[in-house]
Amino acid sequence: MVREDKKEIQKISAEIINQTSIILKTALIHESTNIALRKAIEKLISLLNPLIETEKGVTFELIGEFFYVNNIRVRYALEYLLNFDFLTKEFRKRGLGSVIFNNPINPEDIQMFIKAFITSGLSEDPYDKMLEMMDNSQNIKIDRLKKIIEDRLKKVGESDDIDTRRIIKKTYFNAVSFTKGVMKKIRSGERADMKKAKRIVESMVDQLLEDEHLLLSLTALKDYDEYTYHHMVNVSVLSMALGLRLGLNRMALTELGLAALFHDIGKIQIPNEVLNKPTSFTDDEWKMIKKHPIWGVKAILGFGRFGSATIRSVIVSFEHHMNCDLSGYPQVKKYSGLDLYSRIIALADQYDAMTSSRVYSRTPIPPDKTLSIMMEQAGTKLDSLLYKFFINMVGIFPVGTIVMLNTREIGLVYEGNMAFADRPKVLIVIDEKGKSVRGPIVNLSEKNENGKYIRSIMKTLDPEKYKINLAEYFL
Amino acid sequence: MEQTEDTNFVKDILQSITKARKTLRMYPPNNPMYIKTLEETYNKFKEFFEYKEDLSFRIGQDSIYFDSEEIYHKAEKEDNLALFFFKDGLRELTFKKGLSQEELEGFLKIITMDFEKEAEDEDVVTLLWQRDFQNINYIVDDTVLLDVEGEDYELKAVNEAKQAVSDIEGLLKAYDEEFKEEDVKEVPIISFTDKDLTSLMKELEDDAESKIDKLSDILFEILYRAEELGGILEDIFRFLKDTIKFSISYGDFKAVIQLINRAKGFIEDPYSTDEIKKYMKLLLIYPSSDEIINLFGEVLDRPIKIDDNDIKEFIKLLDKRAITPLINVLGELKTFRVREKVVEALIYLGKQDIKTLAMNINDLRWYVVRSIISIIRKIGDKRANEYLLKSIKHGDIRVRKEVIKGISELGGEESLPQLKERLDDVDAGVRIEAVRAIGNIGSIKAKNIILEKISDKSFKERDFEEKKEFFRVLSRWNNDPEIFDFLTKTLKKGSFLWWSKNYEEKACAVLCLGLIGNKEALPLLYKHKDSGNKLLDELTQTAIRRIERGS
Ligand SMILES: [Fe+2]
Ligand SMILES: [Fe+2]
Repeated sequence: MVREDKKEIQKISAEIINQTSIILKTALIHESTNIALRKAIEKLISLLNPLIETEKGVTFELIGEFFYVNNIRVRYALEYLLNFDFLTKEFRKRGLGSVIFNNPINPEDIQMFIKAFITSGLSEDPYDKMLEMMDNSQNIKIDRLKKIIEDRLKKVGESDDIDTRRIIKKTYFNAVSFTKGVMKKIRSGERADMKKAKRIVESMVDQLLEDEHLLLSLTALKDYDEYTYHHMVNVSVLSMALGLRLGLNRMALTELGLAALFHDIGKIQIPNEVLNKPTSFTDDEWKMIKKHPIWGVKAILGFGRFGSATIRSVIVSFEHHMNCDLSGYPQVKKYSGLDLYSRIIALADQYDAMTSSRVYSRTPIPPDKTLSIMMEQAGTKLDSLLYKFFINMVGIFPVGTIVMLNTREIGLVYEGNMAFADRPKVLIVIDEKGKSVRGPIVNLSEKNENGKYIRSIMKTLDPEKYKINLAEYFL
Repeated sequence: MEQTEDTNFVKDILQSITKARKTLRMYPPNNPMYIKTLEETYNKFKEFFEYKEDLSFRIGQDSIYFDSEEIYHKAEKEDNLALFFFKDGLRELTFKKGLSQEELEGFLKIITMDFEKEAEDEDVVTLLWQRDFQNINYIVDDTVLLDVEGEDYELKAVNEAKQAVSDIEGLLKAYDEEFKEEDVKEVPIISFTDKDLTSLMKELEDDAESKIDKLSDILFEILYRAEELGGILEDIFRFLKDTIKFSISYGDFKAVIQLINRAKGFIEDPYSTDEIKKYMKLLLIYPSSDEIINLFGEVLDRPIKIDDNDIKEFIKLLDKRAITPLINVLGELKTFRVREKVVEALIYLGKQDIKTLAMNINDLRWYVVRSIISIIRKIGDKRANEYLLKSIKHGDIRVRKEVIKGISELGGEESLPQLKERLDDVDAGVRIEAVRAIGNIGSIKAKNIILEKISDKSFKERDFEEKKEFFRVLSRWNNDPEIFDFLTKTLKKGSFLWWSKNYEEKACAVLCLGLIGNKEALPLLYKHKDSGNKLLDELTQTAIRRIERGS
């Protein structure tokens, strides 16, 4: 649970970063005497100074794709997204990592900062230029952007990190185990326990709010015998992570996560032998499978108390294979468009099903290929706007993708990057000399002294072809 | 403070909590006992936080500990606070210095909740999670969510998953092969535009709308395929009923109207099977059931805004089955505005089935009966009179009065015997209503009944006001010579008797003559103008003035 003061600092900090971004954008087009600019500066100062005073100094630092204030990661609402993006990019362009406020500031301090910031943007060595121009400033100091090897490890002590991973794994496997239990119960005519289902989803929401990457990375593993249950949990995690990007609150995320967890509950009517069979389905089996959205409606209304969460789950169960253009199943007579949650969950469902060999197709498709197939369907079968957010979330190279780097290294995508979808963190498994290794984890958004990326992805490899078992690296 | 002193203090706080748990269950939040208990408990916390940053309770199955000392124990399962937390996996509960009274109240509300009734789908942990208290933290053990074999799942699954060994050799080969082809692909970078964000905001806004219509759409889609699916019809019927119930409980009458209209569509559809039609017909009458009508009443009484037109349309879905439950609702309602709505519904339905409506006059609650009668009067259906007559001896005076008022509007000759009986009712008000009602019927028989009563010896014993009413009623036969005769006789009769009761009847006769306005009465009236009896004289003068001016 997050401390109140921590939350408060995060909230004010998000506003400060947003306001800074607005000022810099305005300053790029207006004179320093412009009224709008002066007003914006006043507002920034009114936000900053109280914080500087209560915290006895404030440091803003860009680490990876996130801003930290006095070592607390700043979370921000959706409406700030564009401004945060802008500021991140401008900081990186200048090699600027931290801005440090030791004393309360006045408008002149900010004007000096703006001038240094803008002028340095045109310079060959932007950071040095900026440092030189800020030299006289008493109240604002800056620091260089730090090279990050493993920023999460820097922020949290190593043992803490292992603990976090353990807890997250526990949360994930609890959810799978619970789902398995629910399916078993319903099959034997018992009622599923909605109270417990909520608890399971709530703990996943907590983990996502704490660090979405960790839980997401667990969805990349596909080699489980009872994949049906893992699939339901994976879809739940992917949907909630997407919901989080869309700005849904905790309660809404819970409903979304529950609906996703139950999206395939109708499969209880399909015998296990069919579900888990290693070969393709026959026509008759397909006919049966196509009824699972309807059996799901019956199952959910059968065990859930009639309420908002139940209704949402019913809708998702019915709609998750319908496609936005209603070209899927079940076929309908009189129907309006698909519900938001159904469209979110359809994306997560397709993605997870296509990347595994156990849901519908028997040959898995690599994550990046799956995304390009889905891209073709965006706008017809899939929601194009939500797809954009989805790809931004999983990254162009989702966790688990095998990538070849231009440094002649081969690695596994380990963690997505929110600001730069094509520059994730990668776990190196073969080094530049062609030797099998286990690490390090490198960040592809890292640049060298000349402002060039140190590593870039050249291409992706087919995991089937090279038989890499992700579980070895991720569990 | 000493260790033991500390423990004693915390024990005291916990006792305060258990006490508050009982008190808050019994009293509403505005009750002084409720407020006092809450404040007392809060003050204890505040006192504790004067020298400590936080207060942690460790939860065992039957015990609660502070600093490894047991401060609560209960062996029985009933009303066991430790078990209450423990069973949902709560293992530690920490209150922090910043705790506000609102937070404490929120916490106490959670632990006083009747989970069977108020939170069927939530447990203590979920409620704490939802409230997200800033100054109340907790630690839970999630294994309570799993069954015994479920607990080992992680180990089993991880072992399985790790079994396939990665083929590093193969990958090393790929290292040589793949780097030869320098086919670096440019990946398109996706960036968000302002337009994307606006459409997203709109999506989220739209999503806040009710999902009930969507749910019923889905249920009807399944209905189209009921035959192919086999055996699902009864379930869908039940779900549709649940949908109606749910909608009503949220005041969403529109959804119900729409749902019922779609059900009608299935009945009219030639492709529907008889089975489907049968169920849809049952669905059509569901809104008129006790269950739904009671809920309807409850919702109307709640302070939520419901469109009047929606209520009107909903009422049109009801049939006569709704009459009796609606009348029950009428008896329970608290707000006046809402009573009007229900009365409207009953007028609408009563027109279709006056009998069922009228039969409810037997209700023991006088205000309900009064409402029913006023509804019957508004409908004005004479067939209701039969039921009114049956209730004319109702034990409640107010009911008897209302019944008589109703009869006076709807009834005829056939009501006279019962009305006549009421002229001797124990209550003067009822007697007055009865004489008025008889007057309203206005037949010769009616007239004779009144004359007979007035002529009766015991009439003298009645109150002056009541007597006046009898005579006032007589004046409706203003062209009847018999009445005129009777009045003048009354005025002349026994004028030598000087007791005041006699004067009262004369005064009444004078009053009636005045009301009739026949000039022929003037000479007689002048004669009585100065009788010396103040009452008689006054009334006579008024009557004279009235007749002279009126003509
Ligand atoms: Fe499905
Ligand atoms: Fe699925």
